[in-house]
Amino acid sequence: MSTQTPAEMQIDAPKRSFWRNLSVIWLVPVVAIVVSLGIAWQSFAARGVIVQITFENAAGVTPGETSIRFRDVVIGAVEDVSFSPDLTEVVVTAAIDRDVADTLPEDARFWVVQPEVSARGITGLSTVLSGVYIEASFKPEPGAGARSFTGSTSGPLVRDGQQGTRITMRTREANRVSEGAPILFRGIEVGHIEEPRLILSGESVVFDAFIEAPHDRRLTTATRFWDTSGFSVSFGASGLSLNVGNLAALVTGGIAFDTVFSGGEPLNPGYVFDLFPDEASARQSLFRSVGANAVEMSIEFDGSVNGLEVGAAVQYRGLRVGEVRAIGAVLAEDADSPQVRLLTTVALDPQAIGLPAEAGEDRLLEFLEDAVAQGLRARLATSSLFSAALVIELAELSADEVAPAEIARRENGMAILPSIPSDLPDFTATAEGVLERINSLPVEELMNQAIRVMASIELVVSSEGTRAAPDAALALIEDIRGLVGGEDAQALPGELRSGLAELRGVIAELRLREAMDRLLEVVESVDTVAANTATASAEFPALVEDLRALVDRASGVEVEELAAAATRVLNSADSLIGSDGMRDLPPALSSALTEVQQVLATLREGDAVENVNRTLASARSAADSVAQAMESLPALSQRLDRLVGQADALIASYGARSDFNTEAMQVMREFRDTARAVTQLARAIERNPNSLLIGR
Amino acid sequence: MSEAHSQPALTARQAGLVGCHSCGRVHEMGTTHCTRCGVVLHSRMPGSLQKVWAWLFAGMVVYIPANIYPMLLTTSLGHTSESTIIGGVIELVEYGSIGVALIVFVASVLIPVGKFVAIGYLALVVRPGSRMTRGSGLHGRQRLFEVVEFIGRWSMIDVFVVAILSALVQLDFAATINPGIAAVSFSLSVAFTMLAAQSFDPRLIWDAEETQAA
Repeated sequence: MSTQTPAEMQIDAPKRSFWRNLSVIWLVPVVAIVVSLGIAWQSFAARGVIVQITFENAAGVTPGETSIRFRDVVIGAVEDVSFSPDLTEVVVTAAIDRDVADTLPEDARFWVVQPEVSARGITGLSTVLSGVYIEASFKPEPGAGARSFTGSTSGPLVRDGQQGTRITMRTREANRVSEGAPILFRGIEVGHIEEPRLILSGESVVFDAFIEAPHDRRLTTATRFWDTSGFSVSFGASGLSLNVGNLAALVTGGIAFDTVFSGGEPLNPGYVFDLFPDEASARQSLFRSVGANAVEMSIEFDGSVNGLEVGAAVQYRGLRVGEVRAIGAVLAEDADSPQVRLLTTVALDPQAIGLPAEAGEDRLLEFLEDAVAQGLRARLATSSLFSAALVIELAELSADEVAPAEIARRENGMAILPSIPSDLPDFTATAEGVLERINSLPVEELMNQAIRVMASIELVVSSEGTRAAPDAALALIEDIRGLVGGEDAQALPGELRSGLAELRGVIAELRLREAMDRLLEVVESVDTVAANTATASAEFPALVEDLRALVDRASGVEVEELAAAATRVLNSADSLIGSDGMRDLPPALSSALTEVQQVLATLREGDAVENVNRTLASARSAADSVAQAMESLPALSQRLDRLVGQADALIASYGARSDFNTEAMQVMREFRDTARAVTQLARAIERNPNSLLIGR
Repeated sequence: MSEAHSQPALTARQAGLVGCHSCGRVHEMGTTHCTRCGVVLHSRMPGSLQKVWAWLFAGMVVYIPANIYPMLLTTSLGHTSESTIIGGVIELVEYGSIGVALIVFVASVLIPVGKFVAIGYLALVVRPGSRMTRGSGLHGRQRLFEVVEFIGRWSMIDVFVVAILSALVQLDFAATINPGIAAVSFSLSVAFTMLAAQSFDPRLIWDAEETQAA
């Protein structure tokens, strides 16, 4: 029997599935891979788009370090710096952030920012430490995605996206404006100048300028630009004026603008502004451009128009209403002989005269015809005191003053405004005349005369006779004092007075004759010695006062008269003092005084009352002596009368004061003062001839 | 290693015993928990090789960015420079600091790579059915494992340097040092390889002798 045994059971351990066997630990490498891939992707994405920028040179650009910035935010970095195949340019390969790179337009601008020190300040200072960077400027255009660019050497003056207006200006020379120069509006920088460039014909320079918003709202056709670079010195009626602009403008040049009148129109594209050399000409240019509807007319002048230039103003009541367009000569076929007439063509702006803006030629002519009938005439006038430039003035004269005239017509139909000759003051001639007159002043002569006077005075004073006079006078006075002090004399006055009265009567007789006249004066002076010594002595300063007054007056009178008068006075004084008579005077006076002294001595000796007659006789003889003395001055002319009188006063003064030296010194001092006054006058004239012209 | 040692040795498993991997107490085969410390007893750690491979793989993966990306971000006067591990070594050599370069190179490149190779080799050879079994090499393998386990932590030198520099050099504009992505990757890599070495059950090394004998 076979025992069936069950087949051997194949028992296998349950096959553990691969996945169940898998440990959780495997998550770690999976996560590691994922994270790593994530990082890789991130850095790949951040790597940016490769663009190429070509530069002339790549100063300071370092691969891997130099960043590329847009509005000062880093948008990429330089990856590589290499040369173009022909080595003429540097190609900078840069990686730009993907989102930015997609909006890069073709005309995006790249430039290397470096530290820069200029008159306008220091820029790019941060790059000193951090190294240069490349700045980009563009207007983002989604989807543009340009990849190749040409770098520029310097940044644009105007960032893309900056609000403002770009205008074009024209000037003759650009040597005073340079790229980047500021544009100022009332001293505040509101814009920049861009690079000046020659126009094709080479005749002028144009340049673009950018005015930032909101200042660009001020721009109209009435806006004028002028050069403010440097400084200007002007000399005019208001004096010397020095204008110095902004310091930066001084170095780089600068432009200022202003809207000089209201009513300008908004700018059209392509409008070109003119750059004026200075503010004054910018403002004066006002009518040049509004002369669009200006009416041209002619004016004929008879005389020379030397000084009148094309562009000169036509003024009406001081207001500029037009300008000279052309100056020429025409041959006028007069009745018999051909005559050259100077024809000036002017343009008048109806609006400037006050007519409505739309007024045309007819309206203006109508107005002018009326005005001419009222007496309006054209004439030449000087534009300013110191210049020979002329302007045309539309003068309103009263109709009676001028010959009636009316607006005529030339062959070509142009109206001719009547003109009158003008009395142009020839300033240069006047000035010359003034100078000539000043020049011809006899200053030298005056000085010489004064010197001569001084010499003569010195001579007189230093002469022995003059020196002797005080001594004699002193002796005389001593005698008089003795006499007066004596008892007889005390009793005498009454008698003496009556005696003197008689003497006066005698002298009155003598006065009939000239010599006696003088004698009387002398004797009267002797009388006043006793009576009014103070007054007598006061007279002398009066003389000096007179002289001074004379000098004062002399300095007040007109120059020629003064010069002549001064010369005359000095001549007289010279001849007077230099005359022999004058020299002889002191000894004569001395002798006269001696005589008087003798008389007085006699008076003292004898009984006063008894000797009155004798006294009178003596007095008469004294008077005779005096007369003699006086007659011994034959050279004295009539004019000397007053001088003698004053010499009398001098004698009186001698009597009045015992100390002659003081008086003499005073006299000398006064003379010196006089001389000094004369010298001063001369000097004043020399120094300031004007004062003669203008009074003081 | 003398021939005397290389004679076939009796393993605990062959003797029907199981040792506690925590406290080392020997138990009868079949005991589930250690009578002394209460840990679950395994004659061989289950899934050991699998864990080794997983950690090793993860460590190798993160070692790639650790070398590609910058380790240090040095910002000096607004100027940032990045340096990778190898780049830093080359730079140091250029500056003439051969010694420092050598240290960095050994710690950052040689040791991690050596660990990958060593752990990979061990994991391969202890695999059941592996042909790469040479009885005479078992002691060498044991020694290799010990070295790997010991030296693994020294790879962290680099990470410490970066951490200390980053903490110290924070002078704002003048000079600033920041760790890069590579620093994180590298420390992860070191950690993963250490875990891989730890996951390896050295008792597997001796199983090769068993199969050899059979």
